[in-house]
Amino acid sequence: MTRNDSSLFTRLAVLVSLVLCVGATALAIAAWYYARAAADDAYDRVLKGAALQMADSLTVDGGEMIVDLPASAFELLGLAERDRLFYRIVDPEGKTLTGYADLANGSDLSAVRSEPIVQNGSYSGDPVRIVVVARAFSDPALSGWAHVIVAQTTEARRALAAELTTRAVLLVLIMSVMALAGTALAIRYALRPVWRLGAALNSRDSQDLKPIEVDMPREMRPFVGSINHFMGRLERRVSQLERFIADAAHQIRTPLTALTAQVDLLGQDKLGAGARQHLERVQQRAEELARLTNQLLSHAMVIHRADAVRLAPVNLVDIARRAFRAAVPITLSPDIIVSFEADESDPKVLGDAVSLREAIVNVIDNALRHGTLSRLEVKVSSEAGNAVIEVEDDGPGIPREAWESVTQRFATPKQNGGTAGLGFSIAAEVASAHGGTLGFRERNERGFVVVLKLPLLTGEGD
Amino acid sequence: MRHLIFLLVLFMSAPATAQAIGKKPVIFPALSTASATLDIHAATDLPAMEPLLRDFQQAAPDITINYFEYVTNDLYKAADEACRAGHPIGDILLSSSVDQLMKLANDGCAGAHRSPETKRTARWANWRDEVFGFTYEPSIFVYDSRMVPPEDVPRSHADLAELLRRRIDFYRGRIGTYDIRLSGIGYLLAYSDARQTTTVYGRLLESMSRADVVTRCCNSEILELITGGQLYIGYNILGSYAYAAMLKNPHLRIVVPQDYTLVLRRGALISKDAPNLAAAKRFLDYLLSERGQRVSREKAFFFAEDGTLPKGVDGPETLKESGVARPIRIGPSLLAAQDQAQRLRFIADWADVLFGSARRPDDPPK
Repeated sequence: MTRNDSSLFTRLAVLVSLVLCVGATALAIAAWYYARAAADDAYDRVLKGAALQMADSLTVDGGEMIVDLPASAFELLGLAERDRLFYRIVDPEGKTLTGYADLANGSDLSAVRSEPIVQNGSYSGDPVRIVVVARAFSDPALSGWAHVIVAQTTEARRALAAELTTRAVLLVLIMSVMALAGTALAIRYALRPVWRLGAALNSRDSQDLKPIEVDMPREMRPFVGSINHFMGRLERRVSQLERFIADAAHQIRTPLTALTAQVDLLGQDKLGAGARQHLERVQQRAEELARLTNQLLSHAMVIHRADAVRLAPVNLVDIARRAFRAAVPITLSPDIIVSFEADESDPKVLGDAVSLREAIVNVIDNALRHGTLSRLEVKVSSEAGNAVIEVEDDGPGIPREAWESVTQRFATPKQNGGTAGLGFSIAAEVASAHGGTLGFRERNERGFVVVLKLPLLTGEGD
Repeated sequence: MRHLIFLLVLFMSAPATAQAIGKKPVIFPALSTASATLDIHAATDLPAMEPLLRDFQQAAPDITINYFEYVTNDLYKAADEACRAGHPIGDILLSSSVDQLMKLANDGCAGAHRSPETKRTARWANWRDEVFGFTYEPSIFVYDSRMVPPEDVPRSHADLAELLRRRIDFYRGRIGTYDIRLSGIGYLLAYSDARQTTTVYGRLLESMSRADVVTRCCNSEILELITGGQLYIGYNILGSYAYAAMLKNPHLRIVVPQDYTLVLRRGALISKDAPNLAAAKRFLDYLLSERGQRVSREKAFFFAEDGTLPKGVDGPETLKESGVARPIRIGPSLLAAQDQAQRLRFIADWADVLFGSARRPDDPPK
């Protein structure tokens, strides 16, 4: 799966991660607040309990307040094992009876008479939690409010809050990771039909324009429907084009044949030398036109067939021989020696017989027209997994620098030849549609060779 | 070395001047080139500590030790004043009166120390990584076997109270214990006794009062009086000192009370902003280490949490498993003992019961 910016997976994953991050952070902060509140609440109860216990231990004896601090109160405070504790006991007259005289010195003690007050403060440089409780005495000798102030450092609270927060954060993290992993799996699962659709489209034959029939989730159906609709339009258009090509061939060939016949009927003897010359020109041009028309149709047909015809195993020697016969005209000058030669390898290729024949015809035709002086040889053989068709002539050949350009349309080896050739172009198209190549071999003393190579049919192709 | 022994003999022979000793240290020069000094201010008898100090110097030969000896209350007073003034009296404080060390730590006079050794310490012997208990010392009875016949030997606190009532004429003026007005550890033991059992403690106190109990600042003095034949029975004597005395005077006998036995952990505390912090930490680690504990058990304090009682001690085989051990937990509850009003009143009640003119025999001090 590619993860670039336009990947659906990345978009979804990033978005979900962001939401999870924000959510996890919010939860962690909330956990911290709750943990602090819970820790404070728990230890405040202990603190209050201890202070009330101390207040309860105060007695009045003979007009004097007696302090008999219960060790249990200190044990209670000792539940916060590491915390230092400070206390002060104040009698009704405001005098400190025992404890740390400077603890919460300035505070207004009268405010706590209804219920104990717990607040934050600091003592001897450390943050502390301070509780103040009051107890009323109504002894005839001593009456009024006595106060007990107890303070405790906050280590245990902080430790508890930290522990609770850590645990909560750990849970949130585990949850987030699970959610993220689940999302990733879900996204992959949800996107699988898209890949399946792509694979189904890719694995189709190029000529297969039938509607796609893949099992798709409901959300994907409009998309598939659009593709099928589009393919239907394309198919109609392709068949229209095929009809048009057939029509055009028919429409152009018929008047052209008629034209040629008419020109042939013109009696040459009755014409003057100048007119005869013109007539010959007309004949020549008509012939070129016919050839060009044939080539255009042939080219269109080859291109169409490359997309539309299912390839089948064919015997290349047969095709080449038929092409050879078709390409060498009966009217060929007897001075020219032509030969066809096939070795015993009997090469077979997977191909379209019509296109291949057309390609070979065009190569031979080209050689006869522009190359051959006195000799043309066609050889079919096979070598290293390829079927090879060589067309050799004793003409001047094509210079190396022109090899590339001659396979393009309307290029010709002769600058002034007057005929725009599609021959090599057709052959090259066919070769590449069959996974082969059209090449040339440098002119040597024997001649110039055009080489058409096609991959041999392997294995069970018969 | 000879000087030292001379000094030691001098100090041991004059324990009454304990407070004066606190001003001048006993110096243990470094065994190799001195690179650090360590000031130990201790309410612990030097003979008990000396094997530990010497063994520590074997492990740390570059440290010179200055040992200042106090009684518990003087050490607390000095340390408290120094802490308020903002400059510590020494690097490390050792005291059997752990409640006083607790109070110092609670007031912010201690520095924390964490190390693998401190982690090994039991929870009830470590507060805030500031106060550490490094010994295991039962509070026991000592008697002179030449004077106390076997049938009289008390095996519990109730036994002792009963014995003093039964043979009051024989034991009058012959029983000694801490003077809790002078000794912090004496106060801590008495306070813990009172919390263990109000009635038995009250009865015992009242019996001791009628038997004209002799009170002294320190264990060493009581032990000396027993050795010298002036006293027959010592109550609330720390097992470690008593055992050391017993090794020297075979007629001394030790009884671990079978109803309950208070067990004290002698405390160590590193002063806040100690000038020789590294040396203090090394010494504390040594005290808590296996090696230090072994030396402590074999040569210095004789009792250990795990293991049997030392030879010749009358009591259960192992203190911990017998269930009679009542360890004085190093924790905030000791701060109740250190409340000044409480302390004053407790000591006043104690003195009132023991020496007061208006004796109230059936009225426990608390």
